[in-house]
Amino acid sequence: MTSPSSGEALAKTAPSGLGRLLDQRVLLSIAVLALLPWLLPSQALAVNVLIYGVVVMGYNLLFGYTGLLSFGQAAFFGAGAYFTGIAIGRYGVPWFAAVPIAVLLSTCLAALIGIVSTRTRGIYFSMVTLALAQLVYYVALQASSFTGGENGLRGFTVDRINLFGFTVNFLDPVNKYYVLMAFAALAMWFQSRILNSPFGAVIEAIRENEQRARACGYDVERSKLIVFMLSGAISSLGGCMLALHLSIVPLDLLHYQTSGMIVMMVLLGGARSFFGPFVGAASFLILEDVISLWTPHWQIFVGTIFVLFVLFLPKGIWGTLLDTLGIGKARP
Amino acid sequence: MDLSLIIMQLLSGIALGAVLVITALGLTIVFGMLGVVNFAHGALFMIGAYAGLYLASLTGSFWWGLLLAPILIGAFGMLIEFVLIRRLYGRSIDDPLLLTFGLSYILVEGVRIVFGSDGIPFPTPPQLVGVLDVGIGFFPRYRLFVIALVAVVLLVLWLTLEKTRIGLIVRAGARDPTIMQVLGVDIGRVWLAIFGLGVGLAALGGVLAGPMRSVNPEMGSLVLAEAFVVTVIGGLGSIVGAVVAGLMVGISISLVALFAPEMATIVMFALMAVVLLIRPQGLFGVRGRTA
Amino acid sequence: MTGELLRAEGIGKRFGGFVALEGITMSFAAGQLTSIIGPNGAGKSTFFNILSGALTPTSGKLHFRGRELSGLPQHRFVHQGISRSYQITNIFPDLTVHENVRVAAQALTVSYDIWRNRARLTELHARADAALDAVGLLGKRGELAKFLSHGQQRALEIAIALVSEPELLLLDEPTAGMGPEETRDMVALLERLADKRTVLLVEHKMKMVLGLSKRVVVLHHGRLLADGAPDEIRSNPEVRRVYLGQSEGYG
Repeated sequence: MTSPSSGEALAKTAPSGLGRLLDQRVLLSIAVLALLPWLLPSQALAVNVLIYGVVVMGYNLLFGYTGLLSFGQAAFFGAGAYFTGIAIGRYGVPWFAAVPIAVLLSTCLAALIGIVSTRTRGIYFSMVTLALAQLVYYVALQASSFTGGENGLRGFTVDRINLFGFTVNFLDPVNKYYVLMAFAALAMWFQSRILNSPFGAVIEAIRENEQRARACGYDVERSKLIVFMLSGAISSLGGCMLALHLSIVPLDLLHYQTSGMIVMMVLLGGARSFFGPFVGAASFLILEDVISLWTPHWQIFVGTIFVLFVLFLPKGIWGTLLDTLGIGKARP
Repeated sequence: MDLSLIIMQLLSGIALGAVLVITALGLTIVFGMLGVVNFAHGALFMIGAYAGLYLASLTGSFWWGLLLAPILIGAFGMLIEFVLIRRLYGRSIDDPLLLTFGLSYILVEGVRIVFGSDGIPFPTPPQLVGVLDVGIGFFPRYRLFVIALVAVVLLVLWLTLEKTRIGLIVRAGARDPTIMQVLGVDIGRVWLAIFGLGVGLAALGGVLAGPMRSVNPEMGSLVLAEAFVVTVIGGLGSIVGAVVAGLMVGISISLVALFAPEMATIVMFALMAVVLLIRPQGLFGVRGRTA
Repeated sequence: MTGELLRAEGIGKRFGGFVALEGITMSFAAGQLTSIIGPNGAGKSTFFNILSGALTPTSGKLHFRGRELSGLPQHRFVHQGISRSYQITNIFPDLTVHENVRVAAQALTVSYDIWRNRARLTELHARADAALDAVGLLGKRGELAKFLSHGQQRALEIAIALVSEPELLLLDEPTAGMGPEETRDMVALLERLADKRTVLLVEHKMKMVLGLSKRVVVLHHGRLLADGAPDEIRSNPEVRRVYLGQSEGYG
């Protein structure tokens, strides 16, 4: 697949009308997300697609674009959720301060984990990220006075959003969806800026040929650490969204099986595409919903589908689709 | 602090470490030879425990379970290699990882369907019940057995690798698979055997661990993290590394549990972080592929 | 550009018990094209790796423009003015030809900017195109690098090294795997390049080397065997002995 340089480049290769439209990937994505509650069978599903889409988008930055297969993204997803819940529930911080604080703290966590794990490469990196994320899980399990331990974090509910003089009843599902969509839009805009930036080119170069990137003059280790932190920050925002949505944070959020689910979503949707994370999240969640209607053992099907995807469709649904349509092949 | 208490805890740690060593060994041998890290390793450990339990109750004897479970599950491992993993050679190094990860979901849920989600106790074999007077105190017989058995397995493995023709092929193949093919060795068979061995060792670990922890479908996930920590500390691909790291981790966990039980599990991750900061390829690892 | 650009003092490299290089002392003046030749295993690639920072010498010192380079991490070498191309093609396969070179150019100016749109950094785009033009690849700028022919990829190799406008350009077997016609094109390119900067070339093809270089250095078993003008080297009995039986290759 190709390097997503500026939108103008994309426009020159795809048919002009379509191309110009696809330029505005952030706006397009927001438009699709705005319609989601009507496109999907249930409201709850739509909210989850938003939340997990943002988490997977952050992960895609690390895995899809930089090529670092981490198995520990759950640590940042969970951190965002827990920090938000603790700030609101325990310290009475209003939501609009809790969220930035949570993202900031999660980014610090990402820095700590990143410093250790980016010293490794390849398979070690995958193993180490899994292990360090499990460490976070065990710490959360033990620190039960803060986190609620096995029972999860409770006792914080945001029922009203006060912003610029308007009061929105957050408990209303439609309101909740669009408030959370605003978060998602912010995350998407941030991600798009990163991908279009000089740094965005650096991470792709690292993915393509780490050794040459270093020889060209890039501090590869530092760049990996930075993208690790950015990825953690974006995924943690997804965690904040989850906390606001559920008013509980289950401990399982930090387990590596959640990390695995994130990996599956990115693969289902197609790594290294802008909207792929949302497609992947939607696919996974719909699958889970549908299959668990007739069996509680949907994990077997998830596992099987995952195995089949690895074997036969490594580019995922969205990626294969883009490929077939010939979008974004050669570019000036 | 009472010295004899510390020594007993040390011994406990060695028993714990012995299981870690056997499990990590399976992982590291497969990586050394095939370049593949099996993310279903924990699940296969768990299946080994269940298989051991099931066979023991079927035949009425723990010993049959101990013998047959690793063989059967090892054979299952060979099937996995042949049908699934083999298709991925030549593709991205991430692919076997992802595939085995997906596989673990299938395996864990499969066990839940057959055996249910609740933990099942694994009875200690009657011959090994009780404690032995080791001079400074009483130590569970079963744990002494585990230490002894793992030592024997290590010895057999070492002898095979160093002294037999098969071992020579394995060692040479790990360095240069192409040469092996040129020399007429059926590399496919070697891979099959090694993967089967790796899985068999995981299953053995599961059976041995059974009487020490309860058997439940979730036990594999902790084991996977433990196996990863031990192999990363020891150095992927290094057998010596797996042994040293396994014992180190087991003893550390055991000693920390004396003073601060909540911190016990966490300490192994801290150890890993420290090793990575100082020596990213692991204690006995080689720079290059992984760090 | 005058004077001494690069000086190697007693450079040695051991890998465990194996001595790849020993006692390499030489200096390179600015503005010349020097070829480094020697049979396989002579240590040429190791020497290049040390000069470009990919390996640290186990003994000896390296001076560039008067400044000692010990302990400098690899990614800082290009910032000093030393750039290198590889014997085995080492490009960014899934990026376009243009992006391959542009990202190399970018490394010298900005790395961690996550905000600006890089399409606006027109100077980098222009420099990339200029480098591609210099190696004759401008027409292919929109193609993915992995789809280029072998000879085109070798040219891209050089463009990537070139775009940083290095004072010292290290080219590791630029004609590796090329047939006679492609080699002739490459030689013409090298002549153009040598006009404007200091070039160090590792090559196997003797005729090419002798025709192109102002100076030839011969390595053998990790040591300096001979050093001088092409004519001197050609008639050097030691060199002839070492190369006896070696084919002259295309040139």
